[in-house]
Amino acid sequence: MVKLSGALLQNAGTELGSLRKTLSEILVCPLTKQPLRYCEKKNSLISDAVGVSFPIKNGIPCLVPRDGKILEEEDASKPEGTTNSSARNEENQG
Amino acid sequence: MRVLSLLRRNVPACSRRNSFAWFCTDNGDGLQSSRVKIFDRQLKRTQRNRAAWLMRQKDSLLDTVAENLLDRLEDCKKTFPTALCLGGSLEAIRRLLRGHGAIEKLVMMDASHDMVEFCKNAEQRSPNDKIETTFVVGDEEFLPIKESSVDLVISCLGLHWTNDLPGAMIQSRLALKPDGLFLAAILGGETLKELRIACTVAQMEREGGISPRVSPLAQVRDAGNLLTRAGFTLPGVDVDEYIVKYESALELIEHLRAMGETNALLQRNTILKRDTALATAAIYNEMFAAEDGTVPATFQVIYMTGWKEHPSQQKAKRRGSATISFQDIQKHLGSQD
Repeated sequence: MVKLSGALLQNAGTELGSLRKTLSEILVCPLTKQPLRYCEKKNSLISDAVGVSFPIKNGIPCLVPRDGKILEEEDASKPEGTTNSSARNEENQG
Repeated sequence: MRVLSLLRRNVPACSRRNSFAWFCTDNGDGLQSSRVKIFDRQLKRTQRNRAAWLMRQKDSLLDTVAENLLDRLEDCKKTFPTALCLGGSLEAIRRLLRGHGAIEKLVMMDASHDMVEFCKNAEQRSPNDKIETTFVVGDEEFLPIKESSVDLVISCLGLHWTNDLPGAMIQSRLALKPDGLFLAAILGGETLKELRIACTVAQMEREGGISPRVSPLAQVRDAGNLLTRAGFTLPGVDVDEYIVKYESALELIEHLRAMGETNALLQRNTILKRDTALATAAIYNEMFAAEDGTVPATFQVIYMTGWKEHPSQQKAKRRGSATISFQDIQKHLGSQD
């Protein structure tokens, strides 16, 4: 899991930059209201508290709980996150 | 209700799940959720995806409502540097913003990806000067917004499709900074009363029974209660009725589709017989048509305003703190006559 560093961000497009700014200032996980983390490898936003990743499509983060995917164990920084899957998220997994 | 809560306590704790169950208004778990589900939110998303493609360039009804809503920002001395715009007619709000409320940063959110994408493309075609706009796909019932982070939450004709309206409003209040403004327009119970009647009569006639074709909507008196229940201070509610004229009932349905306002009830009847549909249109025309051959449709819009509490806001004085009697005032005023 690559955490986003400042240097990487400067190279990234302005869209990503503004996304990161909004992310830090306004956006949180819709389920827990905890901060989200940007994952560059999968281009998604990850809520560590519940171990769910939310996709970013066309530069638009999709934070509807139904769009979230439960993280696989090796991906999640907190492995126990995979156990608390809610039924609706399981439907979308895969 | 009580049985449910007892059961909940006996469920072997899946602790992490419970830990986030506190924050959201619905956890999708039949056992834990005591709320009724009225609308199919997923279907609503699909309908709004469709609406993004059907949408007219300029919809006079949506524009009027959006303009009326934005006008209210002019009534406040306060400025709103960061604003969150929730679903409904997003595009109309964005287009008509034009410096209202001195917004510098705008977050636009809708549950439908296509709708957000449409707004984003529109934004790129005609950018709003000096407004930094970001787009998010999100659900009003699961607001992905940090606590105390925005000055204004504006929702134009979207909240009447939420299953948990108080929950959505409470989340909006939490997202607001102190002294932040919540501004919403929802459709009220008088909306589409003609269609409601025509559907009922047609169904009775053709099918011998009725099923809900038009969704239940909030009444005006509920709106005030909702604002108070969600914890907003200085609540204000007002109502406007718009009558839109259509060539026939079929155009009305087309317009509803383009607005993404078609039936999304969970218990809806998924079959609509051609016979019944045509009978509805005929009855609509028969009962309500004007002299010039157009059919009217009523849209009742409830405007709600509420503020997040702040010490600077006016409030009632403590009981018994008055130093002048009303009788004295009356005497004083009476003596002037």
